[in-house]
Amino acid sequence: MTTAVTIPKHGGTGGRLAVAARARQVVKAYGSGETRIVALDHVDVDIARGQFTAIMGPSGSGKSTLMHCLAGLDTVTSGEIYLDETEITKLKDKKLTQLRRDRIGFIFQAYNLLPTLNALENITLPMDIAGRKPDRQWLQRVVETVGLADRLKHRPTQLSGGQQQRVAVARALAARPEIIFGDEPTGNLDSRAGAEVLNFLRRSVDELGQTMVMVTHDPVAASYADRVLYLADGRIVDEMRNPTAEQVLDRMKNFDARGRTS
Amino acid sequence: MTVVKTSVRNFLAHKGRMALSAVAVLLSVAFVSGTLVFTDTMNTTFDKLFASTSSDVTVSPKGAAAADEMPSQTGKPESLPASVVARVEKSPGVKSAEGAVSSMSVTVVDSENENVGASSGAPTIAGNWTRNDLRSMEITSGHAPRGPTEVMVDADTADKHGLKLGDELRTIVVTGDIKAKIVGIATFKVTNPGATILYFDTETAQRGLLGETGRFTQINVVAGQGVSDTQLKTDLAGSLDGAYKLQTQKEMTDSGRESVGSFLDVMKYAMLGFAGIAFLVGIFLIVNTFSMLVAQRTREIGLMRAIGSSRKQVNRSVLLEAVLLGVVGSIAGVAAGVGLAVGLMKLMSAIGMELSTQDLTVKWTTPAVGLALGVIVTVLAAYIPARRAGKISPMAALRDAGTPADGRAGRIRGTIGLLLTAGGVAALLTATQAEKASEGSLFLGLGVVFTLIGFVVVGPLLAGFFVRVLSLFVLRAWGPVGRMAERNALRNPRRTGATGAALMIGLALVACLSVVGSSMVASATDELDKSVGADFIIQSSSGQPIVPQAQKALEAAPHTSHITEYKSIEAKLTTPDGKTVSEDLAAADSTYAQDLRRETVAGELSAAYGKDAMSVGDTFAEEHGVKVGDVLTVAFKGGETGKLKVAAITSDDVSVDKGAKYLSIATAERYLSAERLPKNILMFAAADDGKEKEAYAALKDSLAPYPQYKVQDQTDFKQDLKDQIGQLLNIVYGLLGLAIIVAVLGVVNTLALSVVERTREIGLLRAIGLSRRQLRRMIRLESVVIALFGALLGLGLGMGWGTAAQKILALEGLGVLEIPWPTIGGVFVASAFVGLFAALVPAFRAGRMNVLNAIATD
Repeated sequence: MTTAVTIPKHGGTGGRLAVAARARQVVKAYGSGETRIVALDHVDVDIARGQFTAIMGPSGSGKSTLMHCLAGLDTVTSGEIYLDETEITKLKDKKLTQLRRDRIGFIFQAYNLLPTLNALENITLPMDIAGRKPDRQWLQRVVETVGLADRLKHRPTQLSGGQQQRVAVARALAARPEIIFGDEPTGNLDSRAGAEVLNFLRRSVDELGQTMVMVTHDPVAASYADRVLYLADGRIVDEMRNPTAEQVLDRMKNFDARGRTS
Repeated sequence: MTVVKTSVRNFLAHKGRMALSAVAVLLSVAFVSGTLVFTDTMNTTFDKLFASTSSDVTVSPKGAAAADEMPSQTGKPESLPASVVARVEKSPGVKSAEGAVSSMSVTVVDSENENVGASSGAPTIAGNWTRNDLRSMEITSGHAPRGPTEVMVDADTADKHGLKLGDELRTIVVTGDIKAKIVGIATFKVTNPGATILYFDTETAQRGLLGETGRFTQINVVAGQGVSDTQLKTDLAGSLDGAYKLQTQKEMTDSGRESVGSFLDVMKYAMLGFAGIAFLVGIFLIVNTFSMLVAQRTREIGLMRAIGSSRKQVNRSVLLEAVLLGVVGSIAGVAAGVGLAVGLMKLMSAIGMELSTQDLTVKWTTPAVGLALGVIVTVLAAYIPARRAGKISPMAALRDAGTPADGRAGRIRGTIGLLLTAGGVAALLTATQAEKASEGSLFLGLGVVFTLIGFVVVGPLLAGFFVRVLSLFVLRAWGPVGRMAERNALRNPRRTGATGAALMIGLALVACLSVVGSSMVASATDELDKSVGADFIIQSSSGQPIVPQAQKALEAAPHTSHITEYKSIEAKLTTPDGKTVSEDLAAADSTYAQDLRRETVAGELSAAYGKDAMSVGDTFAEEHGVKVGDVLTVAFKGGETGKLKVAAITSDDVSVDKGAKYLSIATAERYLSAERLPKNILMFAAADDGKEKEAYAALKDSLAPYPQYKVQDQTDFKQDLKDQIGQLLNIVYGLLGLAIIVAVLGVVNTLALSVVERTREIGLLRAIGLSRRQLRRMIRLESVVIALFGALLGLGLGMGWGTAAQKILALEGLGVLEIPWPTIGGVFVASAFVGLFAALVPAFRAGRMNVLNAIATD
């Protein structure tokens, strides 16, 4: 149908690429022969810098796989993935680990935090691992943005689910990564806590200029994004700009209906 | 039935996680069954040997030494006249009787003066070649000895020392040296564990070994057809009027087994003791394994409870897994034990003790004991985790339990632990104040047990403290990785505590023994410096008394100012309080008072060397109310009875010659014939002033033809003492090695299971950029901290025990406390390496973990 490669490669962001990450003809297949399953089928996608992108799709559509590949957590069968100008599909584990550490942030659905470290230690962990000193001012701004200033000495078990996810957001933001990937970051939260976290993600894009990619199956969560990519059977089948929850829901119903009739 | 099914399935599903526990059970069971098989095999070997070397009935003089006793002090065995053979032959039921000569008071050297006799504690036996010997041996080359210059030797000795027909051997006996050529080699038909056997013709044996012809040391009697051994013995007792000792073949075998057996028993129980320690350490490993398995399965168990399993069923299902683990580990352990026994036998032959795998004896009790021990210990260890599993509420199935950090170590637990420890410390302190060693050792034992249990109980609390302290010194250098390692080690103090405690036990024993051992060396050295005036000590390495020809050679050595003879004499003493006791007296030249300076409580020691005088130790004096001037009735063994006046009472606050009763050799000679007077067991020499080196060389030279004796100056003697204690300690450390290996397995186990448990966390860390190297380092550091924690507790505890033990042994002359800091420090540093080593596999596996799988793991 459409390709997701719609944004010009060079924009006005101070000489850097306007595209933070891009995938070209990415194939991810498991097994071989008759049992071969293709999770990603020649996917092309560009992630715009400074924007909030949501990836949606039914279970098994390959949306999580796409995110894992883009984030350098998983290897691809063929194709290329670039983070800025680095081709990450060529990197060995050691370089890839460094890349994740220094240039990428993560927010998972659950188990985001180390139970042995307190909130602040969890937030600064990626920088500690890298042996970098956190930027005090930035750290304070991040902590204030996510509203955790009074809970920094608490252990994860002493925090609510929503608070834990906010710590995870703060951790992802604190190191100023080029791009943050979220794997259903609100999947385990109730709607109020979820809305809180999504607001922070939105604000970090708007106020801090953060690039954000989020996998979700929740139309409400997707409505916080600037752009929604729809995946089905390992292919990008559609996209939507400035979505509302109703639009997203309609589109999803549409897919389901088509999926059933075709 | 479903309980059984789920247990079996769980066991199989988690076999990887149980593997190390199984290995721990295996090792301990292998040690137990290996010990049993080995000692049973030794018993079989000796039984066969004694059965084949004993005739139907053996007639020997009353008072003849048993098979294993030390060579006789006079240098000659007890004997009976040859005329008895004729009397025996005439006795009813006798088919044949033959006089035999055999003596253990011999040393054999080759033409290079090298000792070719038995080593490793087995005897060297010389005798005449008789028909009875044909039952156990056959001549495989040459012929039986004829005439005074011919000798036959056993094949094992010939092999070991490269002896051939025609080689000359010199047999050193109390009557002089017998020089003879090897004319025959005889091979044992059964296994000979290591004795060296020499045969001469009868006359040569009688002259050389007994000093006269016409005497035998025993008569081998063969029963006529249809006459039982016991019948024959009864008949012979009648014919000989009970003047001689009669033993049937069975009695000979039994008495041989008894003497060898008591040595074997000591060895067996010592090794079983070490196996017990390994089991104890293994318990910690098994407790940890099951605790972790139960924790990881909390949800699953909650589900079982929710759908209707009773507490009992859950409990039983965990215990059943323990039974399976115990059975698998024990069966493998018994098999490994047999292998261990074979290995041990090979090792023994390498150091000169031949054992044949043909005699390998596996009694049915061995697998039974091994299996029972293995299963019982495993089930006991799994009991507490199983109970905890039973207490899991059905709600656990619904809760998102994960693996909660169990920070609470329990106030009750802490209190109990502290009380136990305090009780133990109090007992140890009481022990150091004890006035009697027996009382002290009782308190020491109590103190050891209580402090050990106390430390184990309080371990989790200590873990919190020590890990923090250790990480201040060790981990902080590693930055955030070190901090995470510290937190991980602190996360479950109970687990860290149990893992460390396992290591603690082995290392506490090492530390304790090393303190006692080095204090022994230090105390002895100190005492030698203070009391020994002699420059040189001459003693036998095999317990053989010093033969006159060697003594003559020594006395002829130049540059010596005096040479002191020292004999040990058996006697019965009747004290003024009317009691009669058997004691060994020390008969020496009066110069001995210079060679060994002794404090006296009363009287002058030099007076004790006067005519019909003696001295006693103060313990003896107190016990029997003996005062200086009292007269003791002394019945010399094999001699007459005299009345000796007590001229001095010596202090027993020593360890050398403690409680010795001195008299002069001249006094002893008044009551013992020259034949009956024991030969010197020790000799001392002093050098002319400034001629120490020359005297030392001369003495050594003089003894060159007699390699069974060694001359030592004080430095040699101290070194020898140190070496002996060091050797003993090394054996004990080696045996404790098993417990330490099990403890190290415990560290590996804890780490490996923790890695499994923390899969998700590790995945997260890797996702946000922790490199493989950092991850591995984190696990290694955690391991090092656990190991150092165990080492710190163990070494501290052990040094405490060792110090208390020394304070008690101070009553027995162990006056100097020396803590061997290099050993203690070495062990501490080595434990850090043990920690690194233990982390190898877990760290490697954690590093290889796939990031995505780790995140996706449920």
